[in-house]
Amino acid sequence: MIYGDKTLGVIVQNITGRQGRFHTELMNAYAREVGGRGVVAGVAPGKGGQEVHGVPVYNTVKEALREHDATASVVFVPAAHALDSIMEAAHAGIGLCVVITEHIPVHDAMLAVAYAKLHDCTVIGPNCPGLLSPGECKLGIMPAHLAARGEVGVVSRSGTLTYEVVDELTRAGIGQSTVVGIGGDPVIGQTFVDVLARFEDDPRTKAVVVIGEVGGNLEEEGVRSTSLPVVTYIAGVSAPPEKRMGHAGAIIEGGEGDARSKVRRLAALGIAVASRPSEIPGLIREVL
Amino acid sequence: MKLLEYEAKQIFSKYGIPVPKGALIRAPEEVAAHLPELGGAVVLKAQVDVGGRGKAGGVLFAEGATAVVTARDLFAREIKGVPVREILVEERLAIEHEYYVSIAIDRSSRQPVVLFADAGGVEIENAAQADESAVRRVVVSPLLREIPPFLMRELLGGAPKELAPVINSLYRAFQQKDAMLAEINPLVTTPRGVYAADAKLIIDDNALARQGIAVNRDLSEREREAEKHGFSYVELDGTIGVIGNGAGLTMSTLDLIEYYRGRAANFLDVGGGADQERVMHAVRLVASMPGVAVIVVNLLGGITRCDEVAKGIIAADVLPTVIVRMAGTNEEEGRRLLGKHGYRMLESMDAAVRAAMGVAS
Repeated sequence: MIYGDKTLGVIVQNITGRQGRFHTELMNAYAREVGGRGVVAGVAPGKGGQEVHGVPVYNTVKEALREHDATASVVFVPAAHALDSIMEAAHAGIGLCVVITEHIPVHDAMLAVAYAKLHDCTVIGPNCPGLLSPGECKLGIMPAHLAARGEVGVVSRSGTLTYEVVDELTRAGIGQSTVVGIGGDPVIGQTFVDVLARFEDDPRTKAVVVIGEVGGNLEEEGVRSTSLPVVTYIAGVSAPPEKRMGHAGAIIEGGEGDARSKVRRLAALGIAVASRPSEIPGLIREVL
Repeated sequence: MKLLEYEAKQIFSKYGIPVPKGALIRAPEEVAAHLPELGGAVVLKAQVDVGGRGKAGGVLFAEGATAVVTARDLFAREIKGVPVREILVEERLAIEHEYYVSIAIDRSSRQPVVLFADAGGVEIENAAQADESAVRRVVVSPLLREIPPFLMRELLGGAPKELAPVINSLYRAFQQKDAMLAEINPLVTTPRGVYAADAKLIIDDNALARQGIAVNRDLSEREREAEKHGFSYVELDGTIGVIGNGAGLTMSTLDLIEYYRGRAANFLDVGGGADQERVMHAVRLVASMPGVAVIVVNLLGGITRCDEVAKGIIAADVLPTVIVRMAGTNEEEGRRLLGKHGYRMLESMDAAVRAAMGVAS
């Protein structure tokens, strides 16, 4: 596993919102299942003193950390206030900030990542499903029942497509070490390069599935940076140029980011590229 | 959202970037009224959102009274298929040299990146491809309010120092206007000083509200309707309708249709936590597109409730065949409901797409 294990203490920012509430319950159900610590406190300005599914709520991150031992946070704060919340977490000493919020303006994302870096805080996301190390910890919204503990790392810009691939792997009897959704926005805290570097240092991870999308060239950059066996899948080969398919990141830019040329460049590097998700388990077996 | 040249120039001008004197006209006759202030020689520029506008005949020069005839000619044209409804009439500058400057977002370093070339103009992209050193680039920390002098020196190289304040103004506009791209090509020197001869500005769609932009013009009417429901929606020209949750999974479904040599009619991502109401609207929206023979619904996730989705599909009650693949909470109940109403629910996305191919052909 990377980023954290059973001992990781987590806070949830905007724990009193609909999503925050719902996923705190799911994260703690998972923590109980694997014997982890899970969500130990929540933050919601003006709602200090309340409880959400038995988890105490504080007005500020600082207050929460005064009472609880936590090093990670999961952010469910609406886009307009997400930058402030990420900075608050970083400033208070949180070391890992997982940002689920979507539609954060890209200039806010740049500021959040830059500010967090000054405070040695790692940001995952925004606009991501979070991370899951089966048997260890879950930060975010991934459906844990699809995953199984094992030796394959998964890193992806998508949400549901990641679940699809994890489901395919598990059904094929291939477990995962850690599954990381890095988010589909143009600016994200952890890129493929960063996550692959963590997998490289993780003794449990023996191979990695890289799930990319149309837009940018960071998949290629990531794959070039690792010595681990890699299988890739790139969504969006049928996307017409200049059309935005949901993610801000999924815009094709000047030929560089279109999925077809991305697939071509990866194949030229000798990397296995699946042409559909169901091919991934077979290709992983070949490289393991 | 992309702004038109004249809109971008208005904004740049507010940030202190000199732009040529100009006026926007919507009919050829209007040009005459502006000639005295603009001088005898003018440029007429079609306000259309297409790349390579000049080469496609969207920029014309005129002298004095002939400007009306030229404007009439330009209004009658289509530039790469886009009709000309507005023309920016500008004074003609006495250009000494054309430079290129552009600010964008560097995904890799997660910072703004400023690009500068000594030879700007229409050939910039070819020049940059032929010789990488033709374009200099610096990344700037987003925590800074302007480009620090040492980076500016690196960027400009031997180019005139008088360009620096203009580039810093562009940087401020880029930051404060939530731009994905701010570009001046060409940035020109003239005997009267530096000017932005052209202007390009793309605003982050996620920041339109705080920039006071109510309507995203880049979307078609149906796309805007979809946006109201919280869907991401793109129209294509095939026969297989697609509804998915999550951009990646939905795109992947489209790719799978292409893999099996079919053609998708659309992309529709219903977003997270799809309930009965949203699914119904999604199915009806896709069914309303002409030429859709079959709709593939591909939903996956821990939070999606399959019984809700099933009720939505049944409530939509549309003519094209709906083939469903879903996994999540209450899967069995969803399957039972769909089966009762004669819908097919399949185990995998491969199976669902293959079944849709059978209906479509």
